[in-house]
Amino acid sequence: MLVRVHLWLKMTPSRVFALVLLVAVVLWAAVAGAPDFHDIAKQAGLTAFFPNGGEKSKEYIIETTGSGVAFIDYDNDGYLDIFVLSGDGGTNRMYHNDHNGHFTDVTEQLGLTSSGWAEGVCAGDYDNDGYTDLFVTYWGQNRLYRNVNGKRFEDVTAKAHLTQDRTRYNTGCAFLDYDGDGHLDLFVANYLKFDFATTPKAGSNPYCYYRGMAVNCGPRGLPFETNLLYHNKGDGTFEDVSERSGIAKATGHYSLAVLAQDVNDDGRPDIYVVGDQTPAMLFINQGDGTFTEEAVMRGVAFDENGRELSGMGLASADYDGDGRLDIFRSDFSDERSLLYRSTGDGQFDDVTTAAGLGNNTRFVNWGCAFLDFENSGWKGLVVVNGHVFPEVDRQNIDIHSRDHALLYRNTGKGTFEDISAQAGPAFQLRHSARGLAIGDIDNDGTLEILANNQNEPPSLWKQSHRAAGHWLLLKLVGSRSNRSAIGARVAVTAGGRTQIDEVRSGGSYLSQNDLRLHFGLGAATRADSITVRWPSGQKTAIADIAADRIVTIQEQP
Amino acid sequence: MMQDTKDSMCQDHSLTVAAQMRTRSRDRKGAVAGLAGEFACSTFMGTPHSALSLAVCVVFALAMPLCAADSLTEQGISAFQHGHYVEACRLLDGAVSRDPKDEHARAFLALARAGAGHCADAIPELAKRFEDSADPDLARLSGLTLVQCLVARGEMDQAVPVTTQLAAKYPDDADVLYQTARLHMKAFNDVTRRMFERTPASYRVNQLSAEIFETQDRFAEAAAEYRKAIEKNPQALDLHFRLGRAILLESHSPEALVRARGEFEAELALNADDAAAEYQIGQILTAAAKPAEALPHYEKALALSPDFVEAALAVGKMRVQSRRFPEAIELLEHVVALDGRNEAAHYNLMIAYRNSGQMDKARSEQQEYEKLQRTPEGEFTDFLKKLGEKPPAK
Repeated sequence: MLVRVHLWLKMTPSRVFALVLLVAVVLWAAVAGAPDFHDIAKQAGLTAFFPNGGEKSKEYIIETTGSGVAFIDYDNDGYLDIFVLSGDGGTNRMYHNDHNGHFTDVTEQLGLTSSGWAEGVCAGDYDNDGYTDLFVTYWGQNRLYRNVNGKRFEDVTAKAHLTQDRTRYNTGCAFLDYDGDGHLDLFVANYLKFDFATTPKAGSNPYCYYRGMAVNCGPRGLPFETNLLYHNKGDGTFEDVSERSGIAKATGHYSLAVLAQDVNDDGRPDIYVVGDQTPAMLFINQGDGTFTEEAVMRGVAFDENGRELSGMGLASADYDGDGRLDIFRSDFSDERSLLYRSTGDGQFDDVTTAAGLGNNTRFVNWGCAFLDFENSGWKGLVVVNGHVFPEVDRQNIDIHSRDHALLYRNTGKGTFEDISAQAGPAFQLRHSARGLAIGDIDNDGTLEILANNQNEPPSLWKQSHRAAGHWLLLKLVGSRSNRSAIGARVAVTAGGRTQIDEVRSGGSYLSQNDLRLHFGLGAATRADSITVRWPSGQKTAIADIAADRIVTIQEQP
Repeated sequence: MMQDTKDSMCQDHSLTVAAQMRTRSRDRKGAVAGLAGEFACSTFMGTPHSALSLAVCVVFALAMPLCAADSLTEQGISAFQHGHYVEACRLLDGAVSRDPKDEHARAFLALARAGAGHCADAIPELAKRFEDSADPDLARLSGLTLVQCLVARGEMDQAVPVTTQLAAKYPDDADVLYQTARLHMKAFNDVTRRMFERTPASYRVNQLSAEIFETQDRFAEAAAEYRKAIEKNPQALDLHFRLGRAILLESHSPEALVRARGEFEAELALNADDAAAEYQIGQILTAAAKPAEALPHYEKALALSPDFVEAALAVGKMRVQSRRFPEAIELLEHVVALDGRNEAAHYNLMIAYRNSGQMDKARSEQQEYEKLQRTPEGEFTDFLKKLGEKPPAK
């Protein structure tokens, strides 16, 4: 039959097979219908208010950048818990997943009550004890919380030699094992030098205006800050290697979000950092403890016009199924959020407009993530929004301080389609959102979305029905490698396609996604194979895996 | 609505030089230095630069030596510095009578007369000092005051060549640039007022109103005025183009792209050779993720206007995206030749070289690109510092 068809179509059998598969996927997608996200935060118990500066106007830039969120399973019960950061006047909060759609605030009993301007969060088992630890960045002192057997968190910042000698404006962070010693190191982005006493007031110089309105000053006009890299010595302490590693050589940036992953496929994690109104940086891991900054030549510093944008958030996925991880960065209003397509060997092309992502320029984009919300095998994209200047509402234009989020469907043909208007009521709600994380809170294979909203309770968005396609959720456990398996590269082959992803700490906007990797399999009920390239270099391959379940893969000791 | 605009743009620029020139200095050299500082101060008062201007004023005040007025000339200058222009005129007149060769007395007499509102008497001496004075500061101040006097008297035709000379002598002088801007603004205001008075029903009034609204970022109002202009003169060129552009600037919605495209197409119906309208349609199709449809519009724009940098760049970028590197490089090299300071052209040429494996050339383009990225003034704080400074002594 196939022979006859391919003769009739004058195509090779493999092309006919691909065509049949494409038709099947299209039919399946048509049956599946649109996603239908609802905000379940209130019934889930996420009702606490998270302050973050002024609501109608913001006097200082510090009020504009917070804060992140995290999905982590802190007690290893197999269910994701929720961690939400707060600006000044509130506390960060941990919510325990009660396994019934409800979460309980366990902040106090875990020892996580806090104060100050929390900015970002990243997760990783830095001491390889089997429990995921947390690092929280601040304007002020960062905090490393050691997870003590899932029962409480101990602030070990000073003990771990992570106390900073001055007030710094720390933002994004990520654990990564840059030297492959099995211990998670730590990268911390820094925004700028800020203090209340010396920062100019709104309207005091031309950098303190937006569309003719006096607004909080910066980042332009405020002093730059450098980023930090801490080496994990393996004894519970860290050493600042920012200078020695070359990270501190990159100056003149206002850094925000961090994406730590292997961009040139050499088995070593690299570090990509986007900044506000400054070029992005791509630190290529040289394998000898040093990095070189190569963003311009690799095509990820600017937009297609060579213009520096205001990078806020970061996400990565192989959106076009070519076996390479691409990068999405969220940007400011009147800018395009950019999609960089990997062309191999760590080089990228800006394909934003060709991919259909060039239109939504009225939003200030923040948290972002690739997610397969239909389990189709093609990762879509979610972006949350909110303006840094609440004063913009006085202008009566189509840019708003609180705005709805965006959901894009991946067409599977290298383009995205904005389906925000058809994605359920959650995508009509207006917030001034910042951090965003994705994860599967009920382990049903359909992803949920968590967002931090300034001066509001957080959002938790869930679909009213399960995604139609089949799925796999992979939990990786390192042994020679770091226990969290951060940096492990996974390939899943199912239904004639191979999808790849990588376990990452940090990302999005100052946030932490579920450390487990989610793969939608479409109509395929089994995966032909799963291969893992561990940070240690070891490889694991598993064949013929039934879909619709969580698979734990342990690295051989 | 239009009246507000007219009023704001047609304010009478009263003679303020004399008031601006009061200094605390009591000696001649210090007085000139002080004048420059005071002038800079007044220029930025009431603006976001006020704090800086105040700092500049203080520095000048501290720098000025205090000397007793021991001659009629110095008494006259002192009176001028305190804003007593009539008294200054009397004293300096006496000084000039005693010593007609006293250059400073003559100069300050002219400045005092200008301050007292007697521009007609001041203008000849100010013109002479501007042309002949050996003291560059005095020449500069005489020139600036001369411009203000001429503008105040409505003698615009004579003011223009003076500002041209000032700009040639002091090309980086903020006060000179400011006075030049004011002069042109006054000329613009005068003509605009005349236009509104004499041809109020003309479509040009609506067109000009729209252009003014555009400069104020009031794009919805600009679009409304363009529509009125089109209604009055449907055949006029450029109106649909500018309306399309205002629509794009007003809104970020996909519907705006459709409406704007309609206007650019209407412009092309009037003038099929309008390269800019073709280019804009290409931009709209690019934003709508239709690169294959956009390319012919860019190519047509380029064919109509071979030196149209933006169109050539757009075609070059699309060739890079479709991996036609030799053709992309040829065109982008042409763009760089046309506009060597075009960052986007250098950047895309770098990417094209990189993607075609010509890494040495790519690195060279990166260097060119990075040179353009560096602002000549450095960080804005440094730029602010320079705003209040005198130009270096000639």
